[in-house]
Amino acid sequence: MAKQSSRDRIELVYGSLDMLILRTLLWGPTHGHGIAKSIERVSEEMFKVEHGSLYPALQRLQQEGWITAEWGVSEKNQRAKYYRLTAAGRRQLAAETSRWERFVRAVTSVMRPAEPEEET
Amino acid sequence: MNWRRHIARIRALFRRQKLADEIDEEVRIHLEMEEQENRERGMSPEEARYAALRRFDNVTQTQETSRETWAWQWLETFLQDVRYGLRQLRRNPGFTAVAVLTLALGIGANTAIFSVVNAVLLRPLPYQQPQRLVFINSIQVPAGMGREASYPDFLDWQARNHVFKMMAVFRTENFALIGTGEPQHLSGAVVSANLFPLLGVSAVLGRTFQPGDDVPGAVNGTNALILSYGFWQQRFGSDPRVIGDGINLDGRPFTVVGVAPPGFQFPIQSGPIDVWTTIAIDKGSAADGVATQRGAHYLDVIARLKAGVTIGRAQVEMSAIVSAMNREHPDIHPRGARIVPMIDGLVGPARVALLILLSAVGCVLLIACVNVANLLLARAATRQREMSIRNALGASRSRVVRQVLTESTLLSLLGGLLGLWLGLRGVGLLIRVTPVDIPRLAQVRLDGHVLIFTAAVSLLTGMLFGLAPALISFKSDVAESLKEAGRGPTSGPHRAKTHGVLVVVEIGAATVLLFGAGLLIQSFLKLMQVNPGFDSVHVLSLRVNSPGAYSQAQQLIFFDQVIDRVRSLPGVLAASGVFGLPFSDIEADTGFDIEGRPVAKANRPETNFEAVAPDYFKTLGIPLLRGRDFNERDDLQSTPVAIINETLARQFFPGENPIGQRIKPGISIGYGSRDPMREIVGVVGDVKVQDLAAGPQPQCYVPLQQSPLGVMSLVVRVQGSPLELVPAVRSVVASTSNQAPIYNIKTLAQLLAQSVAQPRFVTLLLGIFAALAVILAATGLYGVISYSVAQRTHEIGIRMALGAEKVDVLKMVLGQGLKLALIGVAIGIAGALALTRFLASLLYGVKPTDPLTFIAVSLILIVVALLACYIPARRAANVDPMVALRYE
Repeated sequence: MAKQSSRDRIELVYGSLDMLILRTLLWGPTHGHGIAKSIERVSEEMFKVEHGSLYPALQRLQQEGWITAEWGVSEKNQRAKYYRLTAAGRRQLAAETSRWERFVRAVTSVMRPAEPEEET
Repeated sequence: MNWRRHIARIRALFRRQKLADEIDEEVRIHLEMEEQENRERGMSPEEARYAALRRFDNVTQTQETSRETWAWQWLETFLQDVRYGLRQLRRNPGFTAVAVLTLALGIGANTAIFSVVNAVLLRPLPYQQPQRLVFINSIQVPAGMGREASYPDFLDWQARNHVFKMMAVFRTENFALIGTGEPQHLSGAVVSANLFPLLGVSAVLGRTFQPGDDVPGAVNGTNALILSYGFWQQRFGSDPRVIGDGINLDGRPFTVVGVAPPGFQFPIQSGPIDVWTTIAIDKGSAADGVATQRGAHYLDVIARLKAGVTIGRAQVEMSAIVSAMNREHPDIHPRGARIVPMIDGLVGPARVALLILLSAVGCVLLIACVNVANLLLARAATRQREMSIRNALGASRSRVVRQVLTESTLLSLLGGLLGLWLGLRGVGLLIRVTPVDIPRLAQVRLDGHVLIFTAAVSLLTGMLFGLAPALISFKSDVAESLKEAGRGPTSGPHRAKTHGVLVVVEIGAATVLLFGAGLLIQSFLKLMQVNPGFDSVHVLSLRVNSPGAYSQAQQLIFFDQVIDRVRSLPGVLAASGVFGLPFSDIEADTGFDIEGRPVAKANRPETNFEAVAPDYFKTLGIPLLRGRDFNERDDLQSTPVAIINETLARQFFPGENPIGQRIKPGISIGYGSRDPMREIVGVVGDVKVQDLAAGPQPQCYVPLQQSPLGVMSLVVRVQGSPLELVPAVRSVVASTSNQAPIYNIKTLAQLLAQSVAQPRFVTLLLGIFAALAVILAATGLYGVISYSVAQRTHEIGIRMALGAEKVDVLKMVLGQGLKLALIGVAIGIAGALALTRFLASLLYGVKPTDPLTFIAVSLILIVVALLACYIPARRAANVDPMVALRYE
């Protein structure tokens, strides 16, 4: 696989893409392209989502029952598959979020032990 | 993974295509959106499209990975690999055919031999808990020969032991079924009444024997008889009312008490047993019934070990019992007892030969594998680009290796399927064309074990020959081979070396096999050159029983009349009768005394014993060296006489004239219970009795008219084909008595051939396998050298352009092949030296390290190797430098 070597962009931590997708869908159903754009936009272009890894992740989340998909029509009148968060997905997102927060706190306290704790 | 995902996957399995289509569609839409967005940002349409594709990294892979999340990945990948593999194989029918055929030969040979090993050695005996069944052999001390026990000995063993649950005796017997028309010959067994319960077999109709049946006249004043299922069907039309019926065998009445279950066979031998009766018939009415004589060793003993008793413990106890008995009966030649697991007793002698054959076919398969590996390797080179492209497109390396292995496994399974068919057909054919007397051989058939074996061998070979090419693909450097892609197939030094090693391996294996076959062939030829001591050509032999009701005197008249009448048949040159015909199933041995040299009975010398009618030596072409033949006047009223062979004369009368000396062989039939002292009237040449490979042994002949033994082999020397005389002989016997069956109709040549059937079988098979191995190895060498020549066309062109002659090129290529062949042969000979000692027990007259065979085998392989290299070498020599250089 070719390496992505854009200057300031951060490679996604393995496994975090699922969480980001779920988080994005919290704002409402959207299609794959929309999810990718949204993640990039919200992260202020820090994350560059590899579109290639997006779709396997979407399939995986469907299997877990966290999201469902149905065909719809996009704002530009294109046929597209819209993904929607399920109740189980919401619960999963909550769990992931708290786990993520613990992770970040832990990393932060290791990296900057002197400074007060702070949420990113 | 939770259950929901499993269910999703199972469902996905059934709508795989729809899912795949949806994912493809989704990705396409995504690309469109991205492209549109890029255009809106001001990119040119083309730029927009490529930018979108780049963002995606690898569209196909994304589609594949997305799809894979829905399935058990291994299954999906596997099915995909199989489909792809099959497509590949279909696209290269030539390659596929050669590979599948090569493998089919290798796997087929293995299936064939394994199915024999399975039927003969591995399949459990068809009795209850067969692993607890043993034979107890009564052996001579200290020689260790012999097998049969006497009935009184058996009774003592049975009474004194604490290690066997049950112990029984048995022997085979030929019966004549007397009814309407010509008497029918039946194969029978005489057994103690407890045999059936010992084996754990009960009757399908009526009953098996009861303890009381061992007493003469136990059932309605007659002896009990059990019919085999097949005989019951064929003779009595499966009529259940047969129980209680009287049957006349040999003129004696029997009562049918039961029918054995279908497929039941005991003892296990080449032909089916038709009837079983009890030992009662051996007890007779007189006190001299053979079952009453402690010295008459004529019964086989089978026993069932008690639970928890080992063979070792049983052996210790039996040895103690036999020692005690030897002390109690000082007049009897001391005996020992040897316990042998039943299966070993039956197939022991065949085991070594079968295991050697199994290793031989293993070698053949190895060579076949190497050949196919070489083919795959050559093909892997041409498929290097394909593999590199797959790699570049994101296929992981393990994925590529798996793909290659799947293809080779497909090949091997196809080969296995064809091999299974070939092997079973082959073994069927083989059993039909070579009449070899290996117990249970007739029961060779396809069963679960053979199937599993073949499947396992196929899979294993697939892995084995697929591994080399797979590893090479694994090593391939993407960029390197893509760069080289324009130059067509390439062969690095690494690959050439792999080819070389493989060829050396197969030539080595072929050498070992050829060497083994060479030894066996030599040994077999030596065996065939052995002079049996008689002339077997144009001699018919057949067994005649005297009618059971005849007295000894009537019996002797009957045999005399039959021989006389056969002599006067047209085309008959000489005819005689014999009890104990060489290479037949009757062999009698006895101890004997020499007049004036008293020894303890236990230390008496042993001799082979035959009772013969006048003209016997003339009929068989055995030279009369001294004295006279028997004549019509040598009967029970005249002086008891004997003729001895050269060896007996030399061993016991060295430097003396044996004629006129007197000996006393321990067979008293015709003379009450007193062994007669016999005057030696002649000396004849030595004759092989049962085994061509055996050394000379003492032999003693007595007149048939002085030994009424009730059974005789008629031997007839004829002008034309011996078997054409059979109808005439049959009518002679029938006209003499309508109660005397004739059976075992064989020419002497057939009897002799039968005795070497097993060495012939093994030699033939090993010869076939060795030939197969050499052909496969030659093909392999040819393939590798051809391939190398094709690879080096350019180089050869340059050499020739620079002035190399055709001869130089020829020499170069031949030299390359020869080098591989020589290394292979050297390794093979080293291997052969280490392995052929296992052959030693099968060899006659040849040492396992026979130097002549070494030289011959090496020469054959080198010549074959040169021939295999010659065609590609000539092709190389005919390379046109201009064409070769332009080739690039």
